[in-house]
Amino acid sequence: MQNWINAFSWLNVRFLLMGLWVTIYISVISVILSFIFGSILGIIRYSKIKYVSQVVGFVIDIIRNIPLLLIIFFTYFGLPNFGLRPETIPAAIIAMTVFESSMIAEIVRSGIQSVSVGQMEGARSTGMSFVQALWHVVLPQAYKNMVPAIISQFVSLIKDTSLATIIVVPEMMQHAQVIYGQNANYILPMFAALAVLYFVVCFTLSIIGNVIGKHLS
Amino acid sequence: MKKKFWLLPLLACILMLTGCGKSVNDQSVLKNAKQSNTIVWGVKGDVKLFGLIDVRDGQQKGFDVDMAKHITKHILGPQGKAEFVTTTSQSRIPLLKNGNVDAVIATMSITPERKKIISFSKSYFDAGQSLLVPKNSSIKSTKDLNGKTVIGVVGANSVANIKKVAPKAKVIELQDYAQAMNALKSHQGDALTTDNGILFGLAVQNPGYEVRGGTFTVEPYGVAVNKGQTSFTEAVDKAVLEMQHNGEYNRLIKKWFGDVPGFKYKELYRR
Repeated sequence: MQNWINAFSWLNVRFLLMGLWVTIYISVISVILSFIFGSILGIIRYSKIKYVSQVVGFVIDIIRNIPLLLIIFFTYFGLPNFGLRPETIPAAIIAMTVFESSMIAEIVRSGIQSVSVGQMEGARSTGMSFVQALWHVVLPQAYKNMVPAIISQFVSLIKDTSLATIIVVPEMMQHAQVIYGQNANYILPMFAALAVLYFVVCFTLSIIGNVIGKHLS
Repeated sequence: MKKKFWLLPLLACILMLTGCGKSVNDQSVLKNAKQSNTIVWGVKGDVKLFGLIDVRDGQQKGFDVDMAKHITKHILGPQGKAEFVTTTSQSRIPLLKNGNVDAVIATMSITPERKKIISFSKSYFDAGQSLLVPKNSSIKSTKDLNGKTVIGVVGANSVANIKKVAPKAKVIELQDYAQAMNALKSHQGDALTTDNGILFGLAVQNPGYEVRGGTFTVEPYGVAVNKGQTSFTEAVDKAVLEMQHNGEYNRLIKKWFGDVPGFKYKELYRR
């Protein structure tokens, strides 16, 4: 019991929360970037532009079928071979963005395809261009359908930031490791704290997602 | 699907590109360090006594870290700056190879396998591997390990050593020392093995456990640099020698290991 009390000293809790801040920072930036890039890639893949769509689709398929851990390794240990030497946090953000963009791209593509073909044809028949029809008619309906899938993808993104401890990103998981490095008896209290903190963050995001979903429909 | 075949050469090109990146760090690390007046050191962040991040200020602290600071002053002069990057047993060699750090001082034993890919200074700490067991354990020395389960840490060479001295021992490798300690406490293994300094550090908070059997390997820690950086390793050797002569070295040993119960820190003194 004493171990639990000592493990949650103010200094340790503060250090853990500093880690949580980095986790949230990486997550928010990666969520925003991957939403933008994912949408662009998803629309390109849907649009069937000759060659371009195929190349994009091919790259997305490759990235989606590679473990995120490997992509993190590559950005941190592989990119320096090409003259780029990102620090740990940017490396984590690059890796998360690359991986999540391709996941979001697939969600976006299937979301657009879920809107009936008649919507697009109807819009085009009123004289709208392909882009106009996509922007004003198809996409608003598509994104409404996509909200649950996108939110659950972002929840897994937040949890996946813990993989970045492998390159010693100072996020929550790594800070927990440092805390139980002081004393091996703190390991269970720290795992319990991690479970609670990840749950709170991810569950809050799910609730926000539900609210947005209800608001739209 | 046939259409996609033209993509295969493209993929091959990408793979080839990744294969032939230019080799980093042909420049002299020592020269760069002198120019920037800074040495970037890779240190541990979660190993008590050697390199542990202090939750109060986020700075790495420990024997390795202090050694790095002193060596930096000896090489660059009193104005020289030491910068620290936290590494793990798995990441320290890639970081060195990529040039993210100039040198690694992170409980790293000098081994022939490692010498094939990186260069080492002379030893700066005389570590030896030992065993941590529950006080009521029947294990007295490495001879009793056959048929038992031994816990080690990934990326460290202590596991390979156990396989040499006790070929019939079963070995579990875990991520870090705290996890290894917990596995020992929950009886997932019969003994924990690594360098004695680290074991004594773990035993402090766990009175039911003790370090046994003395050291059965000689595993001096060295400062690691990229292959071919001999000017840097020579500078490190010179700095460590100076520290031994003027007593700085012994003061650091006493500072970090003087309070560890059961640890004969005076055996580590150098003159």
